Amino acid sequence: MAFLELTHIKKSFGNVQVVHDFNMHIEKGEFVSFLGPSGCGKTTVLRMIAGFETPTAGTLTIAGKDQSTLKPNQRNIGMVFQAYALFPNMTVHDNVAFGLKVAGESKSEIDARVKEMLGLIKLDHLADRYPFQMSGGQQQRVALARALAVKPQVLLLDEPLSALDAKIRVSLREEIRAIQQKLGITTVFVTHDQEEALSISDRIVVMNAGRADQIGTPFEIYNTPATRFVASFVGTLNMIEAKVIDPSANRIMIGDQGVTLKQSVTTYKAGETVSLALRPEAGSLAESASGDTALTGQVASAHFLGSVIRTRMNVGGNVISFDMFNSPGMMPPAVGETVTLRFAASDLLVIRD
Amino acid sequence: MKAERYLAWLSILIGCLYFFVPLIATYEFSLRARRGVYSFDAYRSVFSDMAFRQTFGYSMLMALLTIVFGMLLVVPTAYWVRLRLPQMRPVVEFVTLMPLVIPAIVIVFGYLRLYNSSSILPLTGSNTTTNILLVCSYITLSLPYMYRAVDTAMRTIDVRTLTEAAESLGAGWMTIMFRCIFPNVMSGVLSGAFITLAIVIGEFTMASLLGRPAFGPYLQLVGANKAYEPSALAMIAFAVTWLSMGLLQLVSRFNRSAPAKA
Amino acid sequence: MSSVSASTTGTRVPSIDRKVVVDWLGVAPFTIFALLFLIIPTIYLIVGAFLTPDGSFTLKNIVDLFTPSILAAYWISIKVSVASSLGGALLGFLLAWAIVLGGLPSWVRNGLLTFSGVASNFAGVPLAFAFLATLGRTGLITVFLRDWFDFNLYSTGFNLLSFFGLTITYMYFQIPLMVLILTPALDGMKKEWKEAASILGATNGQYWRMVAFPILWPSLLGTTLLLFANAFGAIATAYALTGSSLNIVPILLYAQIRGDVLHNANLGYALALGMIVITGVSNILYIMLRMRAERWQK
Repeated sequence: MAFLELTHIKKSFGNVQVVHDFNMHIEKGEFVSFLGPSGCGKTTVLRMIAGFETPTAGTLTIAGKDQSTLKPNQRNIGMVFQAYALFPNMTVHDNVAFGLKVAGESKSEIDARVKEMLGLIKLDHLADRYPFQMSGGQQQRVALARALAVKPQVLLLDEPLSALDAKIRVSLREEIRAIQQKLGITTVFVTHDQEEALSISDRIVVMNAGRADQIGTPFEIYNTPATRFVASFVGTLNMIEAKVIDPSANRIMIGDQGVTLKQSVTTYKAGETVSLALRPEAGSLAESASGDTALTGQVASAHFLGSVIRTRMNVGGNVISFDMFNSPGMMPPAVGETVTLRFAASDLLVIRD
Repeated sequence: MKAERYLAWLSILIGCLYFFVPLIATYEFSLRARRGVYSFDAYRSVFSDMAFRQTFGYSMLMALLTIVFGMLLVVPTAYWVRLRLPQMRPVVEFVTLMPLVIPAIVIVFGYLRLYNSSSILPLTGSNTTTNILLVCSYITLSLPYMYRAVDTAMRTIDVRTLTEAAESLGAGWMTIMFRCIFPNVMSGVLSGAFITLAIVIGEFTMASLLGRPAFGPYLQLVGANKAYEPSALAMIAFAVTWLSMGLLQLVSRFNRSAPAKA
Repeated sequence: MSSVSASTTGTRVPSIDRKVVVDWLGVAPFTIFALLFLIIPTIYLIVGAFLTPDGSFTLKNIVDLFTPSILAAYWISIKVSVASSLGGALLGFLLAWAIVLGGLPSWVRNGLLTFSGVASNFAGVPLAFAFLATLGRTGLITVFLRDWFDFNLYSTGFNLLSFFGLTITYMYFQIPLMVLILTPALDGMKKEWKEAASILGATNGQYWRMVAFPILWPSLLGTTLLLFANAFGAIATAYALTGSSLNIVPILLYAQIRGDVLHNANLGYALALGMIVITGVSNILYIMLRMRAERWQK
């Protein structure tokens, strides 16, 4: 049995259903991200785990125990908010100590634990500062320490980095992941930033309009997206419209060029249109490039970005954008030039909507 | 959660009772003039009272003068401080807050001692000059509200840019003031005006001590001598206050939806 | 605007910048008005409090303030002001809490705020009439209690024309004032604070005790002080309600101005000075507390 289980979770506000049949099993010590655009329901699910919202249907268990009868202050869960939510009338020390004080721990125990936590986030020297005297990044780290001080069984983070500068975001997410791995605490991380989710998660749940479109490792989500939404939301993607010629042979036509797919189109009828996806890093123009498939087209634009050359070419009514690493031995293609893009047939993904 | 909601509704209920019962009681009381049956006799008596019309008219006139001259003082000053003398801002703001701190009775006490017939500025000498003194004291009373309303309006429109644009088009300071600034801060002016109206109409202390025939002293006199007319007058006063505030809300809501005209 | 500046590198003659002169001229009307009708009268009274009738400096007037009758007047004023401000603060806080954090529909909030805007100005003489019609000897409530519950309000010793009655009457404009000032402060209470406290294990009571009240108390106390100063300086309602029978300081001052009942003009100045000191200190404390509150709610 998994540590944190959400089974057939549904949530409606009045007549509007915000979460549809959400199922998720999270193992102990796992770092799972809920990834999706605003309004997809990811924060709502998180708040249901915390106990701030009650599911309209479905069960939620932690360590086998049903949480539906427990109020938020009874669940022993740690939470970090987007707006930090540090208590402005308390110092850093008192903020971190809050959960312990409420639980009735002794002063010496509290002080020892606070010291330990502040050491973990490397902010021991700020113990007597007030929130308004600190930067956003520092405040969020204190919020993390405060959440972890009570040794919660699950850690929830609600878009904790969205309010911070880009540079802090990168360093802080690494720090969060490092601390999480060190403590081995089961964590759910909500974000709309796919780079964040990809870089630090064990598994990602991609959510779209209240549904979990796909659950998988970052590698799986990126390389084998299950739906068009997942494919377009995570990373950039070329969408190619092709015509099915021979479903049993997985043969399709892009413009007037024939391609044999590795993925199956046997469920399609001949003449039907199928949507294919191709990642921009999948192909190369080099003669020596590996790949069993080639497409020829006209270069629409080519931008030299330093380490990367970003080229757009027209192929049979589609525009394919691809990135190549700079190679001193190869000049960027000219506009209008006819070029051949080489890639592996397995890189062409069939996208069912 | 549920308990909170109950307590909230209970508080609102208590609040409503506390606020509405006196109003209902006043209205009910004002209808009791004729023995045994409800009638508007008290209101008829009030409206036919010459003194009512005179004092109400007097106070209305005073309110109007207060608003006009108060705004003539406040708007240019607020504008000037914003544009030319920002360092005076704290001083001016402190001065405009003083009438809220110093009770009205103390202020008018000062006037009576300072400007009586034996001083260099004998403002209490005649009726006309006393009226002037009364208007000035009302301006003082409503200064905090007038200034804050106008200043807020000026903060919303960018007076500096407005002035520079007008100047570059060749306008003199009179034109700028009356054709550019005043119209655009009109919402602030009206807000201040309505609050001033509410304050001046029922004002008692200053009018009474300066011996002027205003509505406030008239109210107190009626209260001391008549039985049912006072509650009728209270209803009228409440209606006037309500009307002023209602118009105020209307103006501020209108201002929020319509952007400032350049 | 051209500046007529006459200084050169050689001379040290101070130049008169025409622009600066015009700048200060612009605030002249306001300055003159403020001096004539605010600053000088106040200073006149303050100075007069320290003078004898023949113009020499004395502290006797201040000392005379401490005679029993005058002290009694101050004491009643303070009692009424404290009572009405505490009562107004309590009920006003409850109402403000209800509309901001009580989970009520927004029309209730809008309605209460609009009404408070009106009610906070419904003071003075008409307010006294309204409460006479409510709790006076033939007032609606008095009659209602007598006819429906066989309960004679006035036999319990209650009298509208007393300290208690005046307090209840004053609260009619104190409560709305509290609501108007406190609502923005309560708006600043972030929802996340309650949630963070809750997820860390705190009960509702612990949250209020350890987080909410510590954050709110400067606003609460400050506004109560404002209410106190507001009640202390008010006279019209009290005069219309009690005539001169309830001897609060403003009424005493009123009588003194009218007819020198204290037989010492300078004592009247001292009386006024006492009022200014009390309302002034309250307001200064209010401003200090408000600055403190705003710093925390960043």
